[in-house]
Amino acid sequence: MPEYSLKDSIITSLNAQEPWPDNVMLFQPYEVEQILLPDNASCLAVQAFLKMCNLPFEVEMRWNAEFMSPSGRVPFIKCGAFVVSELEPIVQFAANKGVSLCSRLSSEEKAEMRAYMSLITNVLVNAELYISWIHEETFNSVTKTRNSSVYPWPLGWIQTRSKRNAVTKRLKALHWHDKTLDQVLADVEQCCKSLSQRLGDRDYFFGSPTELDALVFGHVFTIITTRLPCRGLAETVLRHSSLVSLAKRIDEKYFKRP
Amino acid sequence: MGTVHAKADHGEVGGGLFEFEEPVDLDDERTLPKPSIQLGGVRARVDRVHVDGLSRTKDDVVRGTVNDLFLATDFEDVILRAHKVRRALDSMGCFRDIGVLIDVSSGPDATPEGLEVTFQVKELSRIVGGINTTVSENEGNLVIGVKMPNVLGRGERLHAEYSVGHRSTSNFSIAATKPFPRTPLVPVLTTSIFQQNHEYPWSGYRLLDRGVLLDVAFKTSPRTTHNLQWEGLVRDTSVLSKTTSFKVRESSGPQMKSALRHIVTVDNRDEPIFPQRGTRVQFSSEVSGLGGGVAFLKSELLGEANVPLAENIVFQVSGALGVLHDMFGTELTEHFYLGGATTLRGFRQRGAGPHSDNQATGGRMYWASGVHLYTPLPFRPGAGGLGDLFRSHLFANAGCLAGPEESSAMYLSSLSQVRVSIGAGIALRLGRVAKAELNYCVPIRACAGDATAPGLQLGVGAHFL
Repeated sequence: MPEYSLKDSIITSLNAQEPWPDNVMLFQPYEVEQILLPDNASCLAVQAFLKMCNLPFEVEMRWNAEFMSPSGRVPFIKCGAFVVSELEPIVQFAANKGVSLCSRLSSEEKAEMRAYMSLITNVLVNAELYISWIHEETFNSVTKTRNSSVYPWPLGWIQTRSKRNAVTKRLKALHWHDKTLDQVLADVEQCCKSLSQRLGDRDYFFGSPTELDALVFGHVFTIITTRLPCRGLAETVLRHSSLVSLAKRIDEKYFKRP
Repeated sequence: MGTVHAKADHGEVGGGLFEFEEPVDLDDERTLPKPSIQLGGVRARVDRVHVDGLSRTKDDVVRGTVNDLFLATDFEDVILRAHKVRRALDSMGCFRDIGVLIDVSSGPDATPEGLEVTFQVKELSRIVGGINTTVSENEGNLVIGVKMPNVLGRGERLHAEYSVGHRSTSNFSIAATKPFPRTPLVPVLTTSIFQQNHEYPWSGYRLLDRGVLLDVAFKTSPRTTHNLQWEGLVRDTSVLSKTTSFKVRESSGPQMKSALRHIVTVDNRDEPIFPQRGTRVQFSSEVSGLGGGVAFLKSELLGEANVPLAENIVFQVSGALGVLHDMFGTELTEHFYLGGATTLRGFRQRGAGPHSDNQATGGRMYWASGVHLYTPLPFRPGAGGLGDLFRSHLFANAGCLAGPEESSAMYLSSLSQVRVSIGAGIALRLGRVAKAELNYCVPIRACAGDATAPGLQLGVGAHFL
């Protein structure tokens, strides 16, 4: 888990008065040959959030983005002298600068939004980690090659091994490691069902775009567009057409290339 | 100083016992203590050599070492060769005490001028452990070591070491050494596996090196040592804190390096610490990029000359020069850094040269020099005892470090932006490998961005400029 010290939050809030600079950069791994499913989802979610807020940024791809990040996870943004990683701290950081998507929500709605966001981190992220690192076929044919693509031999092998151990440890602690693929997919199905029930036939979860929409978009869009040997995950998500159309809507609106 | 006891046997011809208690420098022109006997003219030959106390040391290495003795033609020669053999046996690192005994030979095969030489040796125990403290580049370490000398009977050594530093870094290494004492150039082959942790708060990063080092050391002359090394390592660079400069942050991540290195050292000094006279020159060159993700050429030249001006007053000039040529992937960790109590005094550690957010990012070319005047402590307190561990000195340092991004023309101009500092202080010898210095420093010239440290500065290390 990332550590945030009191000092950092004080510095961050002191910095609140300054407007959003123009030279903000978002760092992430190489999209074509390196990035993995869970990382891609969170990078896309942050990008969608920043675009929803209309905050300018540039995407910078680095092989060592993961190691440059203060929390060890991608993506992170560099805003002046500040380095902030992952969606929630970035949302907080933007809010300190007076940019927020959920300011008009009531506190119950905010609590509800947080609950759905943690549902996604607890289910979808773990499922993506499970598929990428524990599911043998996916690990061997996709994860291994992609994760070691930026390192010379035998460093790639060493890095892949140590990262797999770290992910295994995490999933074991969360009791996900012993699940079968079917159980994982059932969890995903459950998660998608509650999300699509909440969404109903609205355009966005709370009427207008919020960080929850950004997060859902990041995961759903990544899962349905990534080709993996294990089709189960994509098929499960594709069954929930309202989520898929939400992802398509956000893609159209914010990511449409001219 | 050695003593030669000559015990003239009454009545018997040529009988005697010669015993060395200390390493003797018989090559010296020094006169032997009285009573002096002319040994050169006495004809003698060695009939037999005994080596007592061998158990696991293999015969062939010992035989190879003592063979020299049989070539002696007169008595002086026998003594000199016996001494040389003693030293050779000592340098094998297998024995604790070595005694030499020369006697007339007896028995049926004895020749008229025949002698018997007996070496009494005590083998080192199979396993030796120890806890000690070491000092390296401004870091003190507690070292726990286990040594297995003479594992296979031919001087092979296994050495494992675990150390904890006062900056809470931990390192370990396991090294296997195999000497070849009877081959020309006396090569010594060493293989080691290591993990090293280093923290560089001045640059805001931490290193974790894990790797393999193969080393062949050989001598082309008694004073010239060569080291040919191959090093393969995986280096994990991570930033120390959230406030670390972004430039340092950019170079974090794991990296693999495979490098060939050649180090030649010519050391003519009389002492490694506080020498009276002599010079030392070390030239090291490194080619990295035989596999791995980083490729560069790196050369470094270090020199030192000592001139005695009067008794115990020594004038020392030293200099250092380094060039790094990057091919690809060279990060901050390979850069040269300048400044600190062991290099450019009067500057903070890594204080001279390019900085980014107050963190040293190093350079790819540097030169540095120092002049010293070493004298004994004023009024010589404790002379002949503790006081001899101390020296007072006056010094002046100058140096320059050029950053990586400049063009070759810029390099020249930035290499002429000299930093200068002067000062005086007291130096303390720590064993025979390190020293500590407490200096009062006055930086005279610094450039924009340099971090100076005027006033008192304490430095501990093995190599000083």
